[in-house]
Amino acid sequence: MFHSKKLVLAHFWVAFGAFAIAIVLGEWQMFVRSPLSAWLDNPELYYRSVTAHGTVMGYVFPTLVAMGFGYAICEISLKRPLIGLIWAWAGFWLVIVGAVMASVPIALGKASVLYTFYPPMIANVFYYLGVVLVVVGSWIWVALMSINLHRWKKDHPGEAVPLAMFGNVAGAYLWGWTAVGAAVEIIFLILPVAFGFKTTIDAGLSRVFFSWTLHAIVYFWLMPTYIAFYTLVPRAIGGRLYSDTMARVAFVLFLVFSMPIGMHHLFADPQVGAGFKFMHAVFTAMVSVPTFLTVFTIVASVEIAARLRGGKGAFGWVKALPWKNPTMLAVTFSFIMLGFGGAGGLINMSMQMNETIHNTQWVTGHFHLIFAGAIVIMYFVIAYELWPQLTQCASMPQALMRTQLWLWFIGMMVLTIPWHFVGLLGMPRRMAYYDYTHPDIHPQAWGVVASVIGGAMLVVSALLFIWIIFRAHRSSKSAPEPFRFAAAVHEPKHVPTALNGFALWLALMIGLTITNYGYPIAQLIATPQSSVPAVPVGGAR
Amino acid sequence: MSREPLVSRRNPWVLWSVGSVLVIAVASVLIGFIWLPSTHNDLSANGLWAMICRAAGVPTTWYQGPPPVTSRASTDVVLTPDFLQHADAVEIGRGATLAMQCTVCHGARGVSEAEAPNLAGQYPEAVYKQLHDFKTGQRQSVVMEALVKGLSERDMRELAAYYAFLPRATVSVSGGHDAPALVKVGDPMRNIAPCSSCHGGMDHKTGSPWLEGAPQLYLNTQLANFAKGVRHNDINGQMRNVARQMTAAEMTSVAAYYASRPEATAAAR
Repeated sequence: MFHSKKLVLAHFWVAFGAFAIAIVLGEWQMFVRSPLSAWLDNPELYYRSVTAHGTVMGYVFPTLVAMGFGYAICEISLKRPLIGLIWAWAGFWLVIVGAVMASVPIALGKASVLYTFYPPMIANVFYYLGVVLVVVGSWIWVALMSINLHRWKKDHPGEAVPLAMFGNVAGAYLWGWTAVGAAVEIIFLILPVAFGFKTTIDAGLSRVFFSWTLHAIVYFWLMPTYIAFYTLVPRAIGGRLYSDTMARVAFVLFLVFSMPIGMHHLFADPQVGAGFKFMHAVFTAMVSVPTFLTVFTIVASVEIAARLRGGKGAFGWVKALPWKNPTMLAVTFSFIMLGFGGAGGLINMSMQMNETIHNTQWVTGHFHLIFAGAIVIMYFVIAYELWPQLTQCASMPQALMRTQLWLWFIGMMVLTIPWHFVGLLGMPRRMAYYDYTHPDIHPQAWGVVASVIGGAMLVVSALLFIWIIFRAHRSSKSAPEPFRFAAAVHEPKHVPTALNGFALWLALMIGLTITNYGYPIAQLIATPQSSVPAVPVGGAR
Repeated sequence: MSREPLVSRRNPWVLWSVGSVLVIAVASVLIGFIWLPSTHNDLSANGLWAMICRAAGVPTTWYQGPPPVTSRASTDVVLTPDFLQHADAVEIGRGATLAMQCTVCHGARGVSEAEAPNLAGQYPEAVYKQLHDFKTGQRQSVVMEALVKGLSERDMRELAAYYAFLPRATVSVSGGHDAPALVKVGDPMRNIAPCSSCHGGMDHKTGSPWLEGAPQLYLNTQLANFAKGVRHNDINGQMRNVARQMTAAEMTSVAAYYASRPEATAAAR
């Protein structure tokens, strides 16, 4: 009962392969900008590497994981073959072709604009075309998830959509809509310049469109992790999901509140009015609601597991948890990192406090803690959970998995906490080198060295992860037990119509996008003389 | 499971979700556009509507004092990446004829023996911009200002096209291990960007000339003039900001480095 194994495996292998390469680039960046290394003779190499690391880790890796996991969820939870397998392969190959097309100009030094594009810098046109292909490939996945859900609902009138599929389609719709911002920026503002039809670009408008994508993309990365929290963790540790309804509410709230908040990345940008910045800050704060709902529900689910295992007392049940279970470890680490990252995020979203850390290493620390920490550690769990189904491996090496997860957690903390600290001291991010001999910068040197050590632990953990899944893939085969998602304490028999579909939430998502982005975009488009000469990078040397 | 219609007055999900989102949105509009700006004189000037427009980011002026003193622009030239990039043979030919009057200082084939900059293979927009700035007086030189006086807009474009057409003495670029630190990495604590990030080596920015083989005296003088503000036709003040931070010894070392590169230049003269 699993027809698209090859498809899912292809997505996961390419995703994790690209991840393994990009993480080495990340550690190299950490090393060359630390006091341990002499300054690069050619600092452009650093920005080339940052662009590659960001493009792979931000666009290619999580997109492929979400797509692969999405196809797996679709078949396993709906208990029927994926509709549109050929289209799914087409989407996969579009992502691959796009990733390669974007990588070549980066490697040649023709696209060192960083993955956030930063107009008026303009890279080689194939870089942007590659990114567009990655997005188009992923949009095929969005369409397929939607079609599969609708066909299933048509064949099962009145039945509750399985929770995993509900979260999966929420993530797909979120991505479908949020990617529109960057797509509009690339197609209408950047590509005409990159093709040479225009020589000026409206950098302010471009940044507003990018912010449309920039924050909600994080929640797209987060969706597979939240699906894993709700539908894998309780079953894996021998418990039950505390509330199916709470999970659905969290998913739809992410859909509604992820979008109208991106301008908190533009607090220092003069082209956006302070009133709109405030509105975006308010809705950013609203994202804490589904986050706290999730923390509550998952902790409650974990407590159920502990009490089923004989745990007693107000807090004594914690001891009864299956701490040798890699999934238990991972969800704990994920929550700790989510806690620290979320606390830092409160500062980022508050306009005045943001001024103290805007564009510093603090920001790098924040999003690595959330994405590379809380989110990616659950991507490992997703792979570990699905691997026996995908490869028919007889067993997974539990001790090695625990070591890998511990290394990832400690490495990520050692990497990111000093980053926050040096950011508070004022260290700007995205710099190829710092003059540590200067008395103002010298106190930051140890923090950067610590981050290099944390980064090295992450590289070891990543390679260990690849080794584990590679060995398991090659190991002796046995028929796996049928895969099942976590069951809720109360099975969802009476799901309200609103929580069994997305119409209401998509309407709210689009409505809020229009209220929060409509006027600033229209006003910037209507403002004359707002373009500046483009700055092509990597041109004549 | 329930199969109530989604859009119905009896469906509390629609009422509550749309209602609460509306309440949050309206409250944040009232706070962000009215309450918060009203607490600050600069933001609340000229009444409620002006305050709301300002919070919405509508471009507006509310300064009512005497007009600010405006200094003259550093240059009138706006450079875009494709500026003068496509010259035809006629333009280059006309440029060659016009260039006859430049040969005394800039050399018969655009390579100078008279402490003037080499122009062979120079980026056309860089040559055009300097000619234009000499003509408008935004860059000063007794010799050049007299010479450009008679040049039309078309003449300047064609001269730029001709010199861009001439082959450079070399194609080698600067930077790399042997270059002075200021050329390859600058000095971040003094806000000095590396020379090679604009003048070639690492990257080239529109309007920046390539410098290899340029006379040391010329480069040194220009850096000193930028530092003193005597030369001020750099569009965003970037060269003035860099040069002001440099010591005399650093100017000499950077100028000597570019002048010495590459060795082939001397042989080509």
